[in-house]
Amino acid sequence: MSTLTTSSDKYSCSERLDDGRMIVNIGPQHPATHGTLRLLLELDGEYIVKCTPELGYLHSGFEKLGESMSYGQYMSVTDRMNYLSPLSNNIAYAEAVEKLLDIQVTERCKYIRVILAELSRIFDHLLNLGTQGIDLGAFTPFLWLFEEREKINSLFEMMTGHRFTTSFVRIGGMAADLPEGFDAEVKKFLGHFPKEIDNFEKMLTRNRIWMDRTKGVGVISQEDAVSYGLSGPNLRCTGFEWDIRKEDPYDCYDHFDFDIPVGANGDVYDRYLLRVEEMRQSVRIVLQALDNLPSGPVDLDNAKVRLPSKDNVYNRMESLIHHFKLIMDGHGLQPPKDREIYHCIESPNGELGFYIVSDGTGKPYRVRTRPPSFIHYQVVPMMIEGRLISDMVAVLSSLNLIAGELDR
Amino acid sequence: MGLEKVIGNILGESYLTTKLDFIINWARKNALWPMPFGTACCAIEMMATLSTRYDLARFGAEAVRFSPRQADMMIVASRIAVKMAPVLRKIYDQMSEPKWVIAMGACSNSGGIFNTYAVVQGIDKILPVDVYVPGCPPRPEDLIDGVMALQRKIEKESVLDASR
Amino acid sequence: MPQGETALKKIKDKFNDSILAVVTFRNETQALVKKKDLYPIMQFLRDEQELFFNCLVNLTAVDRLELSDTHRFEMVYHLHSYRTNDRICIKTPVDENDLTVKSMTSLWKTANWQEREVYDLYGITFEDHPDMRRILLWEGYDGYPLRKDYPLRGRGEREKFNEYLDNIKR
Repeated sequence: MSTLTTSSDKYSCSERLDDGRMIVNIGPQHPATHGTLRLLLELDGEYIVKCTPELGYLHSGFEKLGESMSYGQYMSVTDRMNYLSPLSNNIAYAEAVEKLLDIQVTERCKYIRVILAELSRIFDHLLNLGTQGIDLGAFTPFLWLFEEREKINSLFEMMTGHRFTTSFVRIGGMAADLPEGFDAEVKKFLGHFPKEIDNFEKMLTRNRIWMDRTKGVGVISQEDAVSYGLSGPNLRCTGFEWDIRKEDPYDCYDHFDFDIPVGANGDVYDRYLLRVEEMRQSVRIVLQALDNLPSGPVDLDNAKVRLPSKDNVYNRMESLIHHFKLIMDGHGLQPPKDREIYHCIESPNGELGFYIVSDGTGKPYRVRTRPPSFIHYQVVPMMIEGRLISDMVAVLSSLNLIAGELDR
Repeated sequence: MGLEKVIGNILGESYLTTKLDFIINWARKNALWPMPFGTACCAIEMMATLSTRYDLARFGAEAVRFSPRQADMMIVASRIAVKMAPVLRKIYDQMSEPKWVIAMGACSNSGGIFNTYAVVQGIDKILPVDVYVPGCPPRPEDLIDGVMALQRKIEKESVLDASR
Repeated sequence: MPQGETALKKIKDKFNDSILAVVTFRNETQALVKKKDLYPIMQFLRDEQELFFNCLVNLTAVDRLELSDTHRFEMVYHLHSYRTNDRICIKTPVDENDLTVKSMTSLWKTANWQEREVYDLYGITFEDHPDMRRILLWEGYDGYPLRKDYPLRGRGEREKFNEYLDNIKR
């Protein structure tokens, strides 16, 4: 039985090397590392000479857990990965399983998924921008943005019953249809939300201190970004225009008219501006989706995939049998044996993909998440070596690293 | 803790002790400075509790200190991986007395949905916990209820406990 | 036309006897290639001007113990070309007796940590990898959790903590 030490455990506090350089350990419990990230910095004065990231402090065995749960049960686990935008993860996983089973959901379901995905995008970016501010000393915008997040929490609660990790998406549809009055509430929120973004921007965008601390910091070139596998806002800030919603539209994103903001310099300031603009574009998409929401059923009428309504289960024998066959151990979904797929969506963080291998039973044989945060964390040493410690804080918060997704 | 032991020894069980208890506990429970040890999803709900709408600062938790030396209450929010467990223990040991621990969320209470090889099944395996707040994640109102339960627990403490 | 079809044709033209199996499923092309030809094929896919797969999207492994196959492990690489918007999946069998695969770090820098994760959770080592050590679990951990013969609840690691904790009595 091994004891729990890492090779770098001797650096649990700072240590001075012979030539005057210091090794400082930042994290895993630290307010500026978002979650349980750990950096071992070799410092020469205030300049970072070498940086070694350490991870795994939140490794929970998601992938092993997926092999012991049925496809439907794993839905609630996917919420806990990128916990800033839980609905995006749900949507990605449900779509991956639907691709495996080769089923198409209804139009109404697709529109609702787009609305929820864009609200999650706003949700994620609000927290990321708030923490970017608070890490560099701007406390007020954090509180303002959190109040906006509370309003979105209320919207989620109105729709699903839970504020946060909702697990609202189901394979073949959604858990329930949108409630009465939901679109009025969303339109009310989106009515004043752009003004709130303007207020927030007034605090930071042309702020001398903010610009000094973020311009030219954490720069990455396009070639490096592609080679390191960056995606989402971290890739677009370099000037590389790539968004899966436009290039490979899923879930009827091709019905909507929206722009993709693209940066120029690949630094922290560009990533900040990009996320602010993405929120405005998400508002556009949600308003279009609400105006054109098709009527009809939300769930697929396919008894092999989607649970029948409780009314039918209690009153009709056929529905009871279908319910039994989907829930009980040993039954469940029947995907083709020994087949695998990969499906990705444009989550707020980047390309979130699910690679599922099925063995013909109701439990997946292998569920792998392609985590954007894990891949983005790899560029941190390259971005901060040779720079000051204060730049490290700006870079870490701008990459939107979420420990749940990183460590899985 | 040394001073209390001396006072307890001198005064014994008396009217003065109960009055002293009342004042000390009143001061402690109304100024609980939290140290948020949040790792995952529950940390986000904890941040929501500390923000403007559900303001935990009303209960005295004004200064959120990330340094264990300056805090008296540690809120362990969300799952603790086995790799993180020594870190958690070390931070707890660095806090000075009096200190209390709130285990927030199903994962820190008992491991939650993560009954796997890599998650500690409840932080009470490595720390003494005072209040357990269930939920996945618990609503901000639940966390406030947990802090109030801790305040009720602190009210019952006594200077004589140190000398008994 | 399914994704990856043109790439597959070009691979067949150049490396015909390296391909062991091809599966086209749900508009995706998945090609199983021989392990010794994996690196040349990947280099070809990245550098060939008409294909230009400049992004390694996903690198992982699958333990095929229960799928009763000829080989125990399988390395899976998902490639994506930003120029042609094409995707392809290349897989290679890894036998239990020879758990080494050539590293893709020299072709795509993102392979570095993803290969460390495969080593950590499956035990497959990578030749020419700059930093082959565990990433998610702690050093000195005994076992490779994502293998099928490893129990979900672990073998007792989550109950035992290091001496630092054992010495503190509470």
